[in-house]
Amino acid sequence: MSDIVLSRPVPVTTEPQLARALLVGLAVLFAALFLFAPLATVFAEALAEGWQGAIAALSLPDAQAAIRMTLSIAAIAVPLNAVFGIAAAWAIAKFDFRGKAFLITLIDLPFSVSPVVAGLMLVLLFGANSSFGAWLMAHDIRIVFAFPGIVLATLFVTFPFVARELIPVMIEQGRTEEEAALTLGASGWRTFFTVTLPNIRWALLYGVLLCNARAMGEFGAVAVVSGKIRGETATMPTMIEMFFNEYLSVAAFTLAAVLAMLALLTLLLKSLLEWRHADLLAATRRH
Amino acid sequence: MKAPLLRAPSPLPGFGPSFGIALAMLSVVVLLPIGALLGRGLMIGPAELWGMVNTRRVWSALALSFRAALIASLFNLVFGLVLAWVLVRYRFWGRRLIDAAVDLPFALPTAVAGIALTALYAPNGPFGQALAPFGLRIAYTEAGIWLALVFIGLPFVVRTVQPVIEELDPDIEEASATLGARRFHTLRRVILPTLTPALLTGFALALARSVGEYGSVIFIAGNIPGLTEIAPLLIVIRLEEYNSDAAAAIGIAMLLISFAMLLAINAIQIWSRRRIGLV
Amino acid sequence: MNIELEELAKEFGTERALHPVSLFIPSGALVALLGPSGSGKTTLLRILAGLEFPTSGRVRFDGGDATGLSVQDRRAGFVFQHYALFRHMTVFENVAYGLRARRRTERPTEAEIGRRVTRLLDLIQLPDIGARYPNQLSGGQRQRVALARALAIEPRMLLLDEPFGALDAKVRKELRQGLREIHDTTGLTTVFVTHDQEEAMELADLVVVMSMGRIEQVGKPAEIRAKPATEFVRTFTAA
Repeated sequence: MSDIVLSRPVPVTTEPQLARALLVGLAVLFAALFLFAPLATVFAEALAEGWQGAIAALSLPDAQAAIRMTLSIAAIAVPLNAVFGIAAAWAIAKFDFRGKAFLITLIDLPFSVSPVVAGLMLVLLFGANSSFGAWLMAHDIRIVFAFPGIVLATLFVTFPFVARELIPVMIEQGRTEEEAALTLGASGWRTFFTVTLPNIRWALLYGVLLCNARAMGEFGAVAVVSGKIRGETATMPTMIEMFFNEYLSVAAFTLAAVLAMLALLTLLLKSLLEWRHADLLAATRRH
Repeated sequence: MKAPLLRAPSPLPGFGPSFGIALAMLSVVVLLPIGALLGRGLMIGPAELWGMVNTRRVWSALALSFRAALIASLFNLVFGLVLAWVLVRYRFWGRRLIDAAVDLPFALPTAVAGIALTALYAPNGPFGQALAPFGLRIAYTEAGIWLALVFIGLPFVVRTVQPVIEELDPDIEEASATLGARRFHTLRRVILPTLTPALLTGFALALARSVGEYGSVIFIAGNIPGLTEIAPLLIVIRLEEYNSDAAAAIGIAMLLISFAMLLAINAIQIWSRRRIGLV
Repeated sequence: MNIELEELAKEFGTERALHPVSLFIPSGALVALLGPSGSGKTTLLRILAGLEFPTSGRVRFDGGDATGLSVQDRRAGFVFQHYALFRHMTVFENVAYGLRARRRTERPTEAEIGRRVTRLLDLIQLPDIGARYPNQLSGGQRQRVALARALAIEPRMLLLDEPFGALDAKVRKELRQGLREIHDTTGLTTVFVTHDQEEAMELADLVVVMSMGRIEQVGKPAEIRAKPATEFVRTFTAA
């Protein structure tokens, strides 16, 4: 018993010192191996031939076309998803109707569908060997292996992002502030813009950030529907694949580094939001 | 939609337009494409579909995708719990950095992760060279696929368990201690059961994501038919051969697996809500 | 303005929140809807405000049918149970909200809005808090700001849902007096919901006792004390 009396008192709700050190060590090692090492590799490989190599890679016409393509896709897909997310969250969080749970399940569905299968679906729907695709061809409307198909594929894989962030926040905030605005004579739109939107703006930004990161980085679905035509439909991720398979390592990793910087920026902004505006994000986002 | 039976009346405006926009976009972006895949399956017919799936190459691809996803998700179940526990309960230098970095697999494009892991673990990469003397090869073997899927699935378990650990009531742990339980006993008998629903949900989410993963895997897998060829890659190959029926057959098989997992996730959540009252 | 309810009923799904109830509230009265939780008093108040829609029955304001009148057009000053102040707006912006929400032709100038908000903040005896945000206020201050915000729209009636429910006993007493004074100065028909019989008896001219979606008794506090109409009223008001 004497050693118990002599030892420093340890709070009952924590583990012994040694166990704590081991667990922290394990967590740090795990993070180093699986998170930081791959990230560091991207930048190291991009700069394998120095800054000149990376800059030369970025000035390749194929790389520049891919960057433009990726930016254009995000510029269309992200706002569309934001509109969808707001509309869906408004209907789901502020009203009671039948089939609500089923609607939420459908919105979440794209999360559990393989991106390649998503791309396949679009090829089957709009491709030349479906009757609808043949009709489109006859009218000279190109969707698959063209820009609209890539946007649709991106919309599919990013579909739940904004809605998922907004629905829990709007349910938690309830309807009373909107009701108060209405009793004060505000119209529906005015209520939305002056009361609802300010209350959800940080959650909206959070969802848009994640949506944008995924939209710019989507590979599987886009690879299937784009046809990966250089200078035409190749996006940054698909161009990375082509460079990598042609052993143009520096070019591949330089484009990858650009996307990795976007990912880091996303994480930084996301963490800032979690620290500064935790009360206005969904409960699961507050660390 | 307007019928009073289907929707409770509300003074808030805008149900019609917002519901309409949501449903229209859902239909065009999600439901119509899924319908196209299932419709193609109906046109092909069940016997033909089965014939196209029931080949050695397709089976081994589907089995590989599922097996690797299962192994990686089990690994993440254990290490995700450790990581979440450490991030919530302990204070140490670099904690916030690691906490933020946990979401890296969400933010980093899969193709970027794929080539980075390949460069690290390829026989001439730094980790690959370090492991070679022990006779361990990661890249271009099934272990490489596990590795990529561990990376992809890492945030799911951490991010579903973390908030539950934060909400744990210290009274319960103190009560357990006053009843004479040692710390390990408290962790195993009191804390772990409380975390089980969140752990299962995180595991199922990671599994669902990993089964269909493509971008991070194809670079490191080596893609040898029958050995390291995952199911999504086989779909891409069939499409490149202009064999869209065979691609659709594999796609339907994968979609059914996805649906099954979605049902499992929902069942876990209903069960846990009933049992513990947590979502 | 007087308020008349004719056979008003409300069902939520299969549940009856209000059995058909009828009630006449004379112009300028200060009325308490008194009852335990689940008695239908809040539902009744929200129907008056246009926030809830009756399954059947009619609501009349000064004799005119108001059942289908939109919440915006009712001009009912409503004080929510937890006040529902807009968190991202200052007290000034909160109080000015209803005036700024008016159509351009009816909207006062910014200078006029400023004057009115100042006057209202004086009325609630908090002249210096215009620049603060709701989370910088005490519970009692929030309640008074919510009252000022409701009064800013020059309402036709004042409706309050458990206006003192979230406050401690001392503040409660003060604010009761405050509400009485505001009612007497403005002369507005005022209806408030409460589960506290002492509060209802002390403050209201007319008390409506409710239970299980029905009106048990309507009368002056003294009448209800002296002659409870039902066993429920007797036990509930004796508490």
